[in-house]
Amino acid sequence: MKTPARTLTPTAPKKKRSKLARREELQGYLFISPWLIGLFGITLFPMLFSLYGSFTNYDVTSRMDFIGVGNYMRMFTEDPLFWKSLYNTLYYVAFMVPLTTIGSILLALMLNERIVGMRFFRTIYYLPAVLSGVGVYFLWIQLLNPSTGLINTMLGWVGIPGPAWLSDPMWTKPAIILMKMWSVGGGMLLYLASLQGVPSQLYESAKLDGASAFRRFFHITLPMISPVIFFDVVTSFIGGFQIFQEGYVMTDSGSGGPMGSLLFYNLYMWNQAFQLFDMGYAMAMAWVLFVIVLILTLINLRMSKRWVYYEGGED
Amino acid sequence: MRARPIWHAAWLTMLSCMLLLTACTPESRSSSGAPTTGTSGDGAAQEKVTIDFWTFWGSETRRPIIEKIIEDFNSSQDRIVVKHTYLPFGDIWTKNLASIAAGTPADVIVNDYADVNLRASKNQNTNLTAYLQQDDIESRFYPELWNNVLYNDEAYALPFNTDTRLLYYNKEAFREAGLDPEQPPQTWAELEEYAQQLDKKAGDTYERVGFYPLWGDFGVDSWLINGDAGNGYFGENDETTIDTPGKVATLEWLKSWQDRLGRQTVDAIKADFGSGVSDPFISGKVAMYIQTGTYNTQIEEFGQDLDIGVAPIPEREEGSGHWSSGGGFVVEIPKGAKHPDEAWEFIKYLTDVDAQKYWAMENFDNVSNIEAAEDPEANKNEVYKASVENLVNTKVFQVPLSASGYKDLINPHMDAVFLDKETPQQALQQAQKDVQSLMNKNK
Repeated sequence: MKTPARTLTPTAPKKKRSKLARREELQGYLFISPWLIGLFGITLFPMLFSLYGSFTNYDVTSRMDFIGVGNYMRMFTEDPLFWKSLYNTLYYVAFMVPLTTIGSILLALMLNERIVGMRFFRTIYYLPAVLSGVGVYFLWIQLLNPSTGLINTMLGWVGIPGPAWLSDPMWTKPAIILMKMWSVGGGMLLYLASLQGVPSQLYESAKLDGASAFRRFFHITLPMISPVIFFDVVTSFIGGFQIFQEGYVMTDSGSGGPMGSLLFYNLYMWNQAFQLFDMGYAMAMAWVLFVIVLILTLINLRMSKRWVYYEGGED
Repeated sequence: MRARPIWHAAWLTMLSCMLLLTACTPESRSSSGAPTTGTSGDGAAQEKVTIDFWTFWGSETRRPIIEKIIEDFNSSQDRIVVKHTYLPFGDIWTKNLASIAAGTPADVIVNDYADVNLRASKNQNTNLTAYLQQDDIESRFYPELWNNVLYNDEAYALPFNTDTRLLYYNKEAFREAGLDPEQPPQTWAELEEYAQQLDKKAGDTYERVGFYPLWGDFGVDSWLINGDAGNGYFGENDETTIDTPGKVATLEWLKSWQDRLGRQTVDAIKADFGSGVSDPFISGKVAMYIQTGTYNTQIEEFGQDLDIGVAPIPEREEGSGHWSSGGGFVVEIPKGAKHPDEAWEFIKYLTDVDAQKYWAMENFDNVSNIEAAEDPEANKNEVYKASVENLVNTKVFQVPLSASGYKDLINPHMDAVFLDKETPQQALQQAQKDVQSLMNKNK
């Protein structure tokens, strides 16, 4: 703990200084006590409780007996729906993260051009990111309607017979990913800001050296915005694993859709906790997801050293 | 001293923090807590008790009905005051669970009929045996519904309402197709024959579909009961009866409807279904449609000109039975309720003839009290009358505890049949295997 007390003049008597230091330290803790209460009471305690709960048959109202790794054993060896929900979620994350990242970079590049009415376009493309929640899902259920929905109608104009998006298990997840692509405006805004921070002299000198637009993009633009890409990828990774509402709202009463193709991890966990009251099992599932996300984030961090460029250099 | 203002500030921070925390705790439950004491005329001390009643009936139709019943109860005696708390359907169960865990539940809650035994096994509702020994009111309910509130042969809830599914048919369409509007189809064979006569095509597109078994409110589960002599997925002793010849034949028959119309056609037509005036049956897109008794209120509201008839669900073959499926809600006392005795008085009232009759008359909803259900006044309404008569054929099942969550295992196989990924035989075989292994694990 570095407190200002330590930097007091060395001529002051030693005993007195440490007393003052202790007092100021205590005061410091008191000042941050609202935050500490929040951390210990609302975050840390429930987390540790759920860690313990994951080793029990806790059902909230009648029992909480220690059963060792029973929940984890059941999950890995006996529960086909655990694997299905994990697969559905990984599938979603694996496609959603790269597609929305590339989508928002492309959009930001286009909206970074200097043409008349750009502000208007920026607003238009950002708007979907402002809308959220259940209303949007109902809107998309209509857009994805196989016979009268706008998407299949437009596919029909170019001669493609559109699929039965939300009723064919092959197409349900792509439909959700497509829906997510619609709201890339949030990421776009971040990229737009960072694109405008790229110093123009870099482009000028590259141009003088005869670099094509293609090379300027890959050798100047991308490295310069890579910290933002990194941030975006990490946060959408974590957000992607939290997918729940889409599966709950866009299928009949949260059943997980045709052939369970929209039974996402969190939806299944929620069902276990609140439909079947198998809270211990749900807690174990939560911890498995936590470990998965932790590992993937650590890998992301490690990999980032290879491709993320910080202008200030490493310190 | 220099430090004093800092201490001051710190204490203030602490204090405001504590204030915030206390402000966040739920409001003190004075309404259902400390009873107020009053003295009655003859000098005996009487306690006035307020009890909290949770429902999800907040719609324009239902809220006034339940609140009238509560008002009637409150004025029928002067000891218990019932306070109605409306919670949206999506919140009420989780809130109930949390409040039971916290030790501050409602005194009475309306809950799902299907999981009374699951909640009883988890200590979430109150055993009513002691009350029933004093007031034996079992005989007022339909036995099928009573069986559903039992856990280890003891009651943990009282049935409140129920429903049943009927075949609605459009008489005008019948006349147009040359069918007798007073002769609805009785068997599956007749149903198919009528349906094909009622189909109306313009080129390749259907202007009207005579019938499609899975539209409306009668899903695969219900058809499997209908086609398997009224047997559900589980037998008397909790054995699985999923893969039976009756169910295989039923699933094959259901699939044949999709094969005839084509999966894409079925999906496309279904995707256009709306509610109100764009309801497929009310708008005339479908000539025969299976729905609950209360669906009639929608017809009355949005399809005044519609000339309709209702009939029991057609049977697989003559004599196999017009089996239908039902559901409903129960009233129960959450475990740990502060005033269980008063709550019992109230749920007794809720399931008694007056309240039940009022509910039935205003909603045309089926009620659990036999006398109220069969009341001549309510039965003036043709559709309501048909629905009450249909209760004899209606199956309401309790799911064995060891099979909780079985639907997540069965449904994907049923979907697979209609996507041509599994045959009916394979699907039911596999579903039975999956559910059996779930039950073996839970035993």
